[in-house]
Amino acid sequence: MSIDADQRGYVSATAGPTITARARRSPLLFVGLALFAIIITILVTQSRPADNQDLSIENSAPNGSRAVAQILRDQGVGVRQVNLLGDAHIEDPEHTTLVIVAGSSYLSSAQSDSVAGYPGDIVYLGLTAESLEAADPDLYVDYAEPGTAVVANCADPDAVAAEETRTGQDSISTGGLAVPQAELCFPDANGGYAYARVETSHGSRTFIANPTIASNDKLDELGNAALALRTMGHHESVTWYVGSYADTTTLTWGEDGSAPDRITANPNFLPPGTADALFALGLAALVAAFWRARRFGPLVTEPLPVVVRSSEATRGRARLYRRARATGRSTAAIRGLIALRMGQRLGVPRAAGKAGLLEAIARATGRASGDVESLLYGPPPANETAMMHLVERLDQLESEVHRP
Amino acid sequence: MYITGWTVLLAALGAVPAAITQDRGVTWLWMLAVVALALIDAGLAPKPSTLGVRRTVPGSVRLTESTTGSVTVVNNGRRRVRGAVRDAWQPSAGASSTRHRLNLAGGVRATFDTHFHPTRRGDRHADRITVRLQGPLRLGGRQQSIVVSDTLRVLPEFASRRHLPSRLQRLREIDGQSAVQLKGAGSEFDSLREYVIGDDVRSIDWRGTARRADVVVRTYRPERDRRVFIVLDTSRLSAARVGDAPRLDASIEATLLLTALATRAGDRVQVTAYDRVERARALGTTGAGVMPQLASALAGVEPELLEPDWPGVVRLVQGRLSQRSLVVLLTTIDTSTADSGLLEAVAALSQSHVVMVASVNDPEVERMLKGRDDAHELYAAGAAARGALERDTVSTRLRQLTAEVVTASPDDLAPAVADRYLALKAAGRL
Repeated sequence: MSIDADQRGYVSATAGPTITARARRSPLLFVGLALFAIIITILVTQSRPADNQDLSIENSAPNGSRAVAQILRDQGVGVRQVNLLGDAHIEDPEHTTLVIVAGSSYLSSAQSDSVAGYPGDIVYLGLTAESLEAADPDLYVDYAEPGTAVVANCADPDAVAAEETRTGQDSISTGGLAVPQAELCFPDANGGYAYARVETSHGSRTFIANPTIASNDKLDELGNAALALRTMGHHESVTWYVGSYADTTTLTWGEDGSAPDRITANPNFLPPGTADALFALGLAALVAAFWRARRFGPLVTEPLPVVVRSSEATRGRARLYRRARATGRSTAAIRGLIALRMGQRLGVPRAAGKAGLLEAIARATGRASGDVESLLYGPPPANETAMMHLVERLDQLESEVHRP
Repeated sequence: MYITGWTVLLAALGAVPAAITQDRGVTWLWMLAVVALALIDAGLAPKPSTLGVRRTVPGSVRLTESTTGSVTVVNNGRRRVRGAVRDAWQPSAGASSTRHRLNLAGGVRATFDTHFHPTRRGDRHADRITVRLQGPLRLGGRQQSIVVSDTLRVLPEFASRRHLPSRLQRLREIDGQSAVQLKGAGSEFDSLREYVIGDDVRSIDWRGTARRADVVVRTYRPERDRRVFIVLDTSRLSAARVGDAPRLDASIEATLLLTALATRAGDRVQVTAYDRVERARALGTTGAGVMPQLASALAGVEPELLEPDWPGVVRLVQGRLSQRSLVVLLTTIDTSTADSGLLEAVAALSQSHVVMVASVNDPEVERMLKGRDDAHELYAAGAAARGALERDTVSTRLRQLTAEVVTASPDDLAPAVADRYLALKAAGRL
């Protein structure tokens, strides 16, 4: 073939070592890489965002309430947690208990209002003034002495079954003389109550003043378990909502008060799927990084020469003069150089010495010899101003000598 | 292994199913599929070893001028090869258009040009030739760098060659001068011509006069076949920058101009670059081969951060020269050079040779000398004046040792050295 004849002078790429050969040479690297890959895979597949929210049913820590949810499920009650109020697609409010876990700080008044109209039973774990007022205008939130054991002392079957519980930070107060329609239980020494149940036109509203009775570590104390399970277990399903600052959505309802087909989060201006598309684009950006990061051959280095300015020594000396304010030394050098140049210009031999030079300059410029002498050989200037004046006059003298 | 922009585009398209399904799992699957496709594509790409590459480099180029080299790629396999090739050079080679697309059928070769516009003198080295071979899907491919070492020699600029015609003109004038007052035995008989009033009566050739009716005089021409020995000092002071270039570059310019001139004048030139050892030399060539040889020899000379070894220079010169010659020392006149033994070297050399010492003045220091605006500038002027006085002292001592001293700014050094050479020649001092 004709190519073979022309092949002299061509260099071919030598095949690099195969992967097995490389692995044999540096096994540690490959073991490390494999371990890294395995660890990353495990972390990615196994990790769920750790839920450490108070009273979340996914949280198995002491402050969570996974235990309640598990027991309810064992008893045939479907428990579902929603993170956004707007996401609570409740198909059958008649048979769904809505559990709202929210201190007053987590539930905005708009959210409270939207919840208050829910056409089914609600259990509030923790009190908010708005929801209490919406249920019964005669009830208020008051402070309580935490940790006090209180007995039911009322007719509510759930409370009676629980017999005894403890107070939390808040209590339900009747605000003095008014006689509320609510069933109030677990009175404490200060006239507050830890439990209230109000039958409204929408459904029953149960308030448990101390939300921690449903937490994993407090559930087995006194009658907490009975109280929590009985109040939440009236219907076959429970929708559990834990309030947070991040959620600003509300429960929304149709015109006729029934649950709408689709509850839209509010506010949400972006079309659905935006976050997922952005996530995909983020991964694509990662691929793009690999695309750009792969160099087309290695960088070529340039051996750089030293860069030393020739004038650096002179500049260094100038800085020394300036720091020492060496006006005398500086002026002496300028005087010397000007005298040298004038001497060369006037053709004064070096052997002529000071007197010969002064005489030649005096003759050339028409100045008095003493004047020239004081300029060239006078005392050094005392300060910078004097130096500037002297150098100015020296330049003047030199220009007179150089004048044609 | 590399991936192309198409892979990125395909990955970005994953946003569409992600938005529709709203499922992260789909996104991950899509990305994995894209990466797997790219990997498979790279695996299907032809192997780089099926290609042969060859680089063609022009032998040398003068600094500031451009030249063109090429890379030839041959496809030794049967499959068509698509991809790219990169001809890598170090940055100062000034290589442009180094990347080319590759599309070769089996058994075909292609040549790609690389243009050079070097920015530094010396040997500029080529790096690897990298080839990228694209897979059938154009998503990924194989990449490999092939070591092919080549060198582009960048010769000194020789910007001072524009001074050469005027100096040659001057040389001819010197040649034509009649009855130059020549001293010593070196003067050469040239021709006879008629006596004109003013000629030295001692140069009347009585034999010739007797043969003819007129009085004739002998004319002489400047000596030919003199020797000029140029020493380039490459020690630490030659590294200092004057303007944009190191002092050494001005010395090289001066060397080139002087060599060109002296060669035309019929003299024989030897050049050495020396600090503590000889870095480069050019000698023994005559005629048209002198300048290329010299430029090539000086191309790779770089300043060394070493103290100069002046006794070594004296030994070298005395070893190479047997007859009286002009020795040109291209160095730096400075108090430190005086201490380093330059004066002793000049004293030793001037016993048997004519010595010229040439040095570059720094225009920036000249500017500092004129600064009068404020106290800072006055101190700078004082420092510059002190330096000038010290250099003058050294120059005076050199002159006392009968050496010729030339100092000039970098651009003027070469013509100044050439002029001094012509002056010496005219005076018959060579």
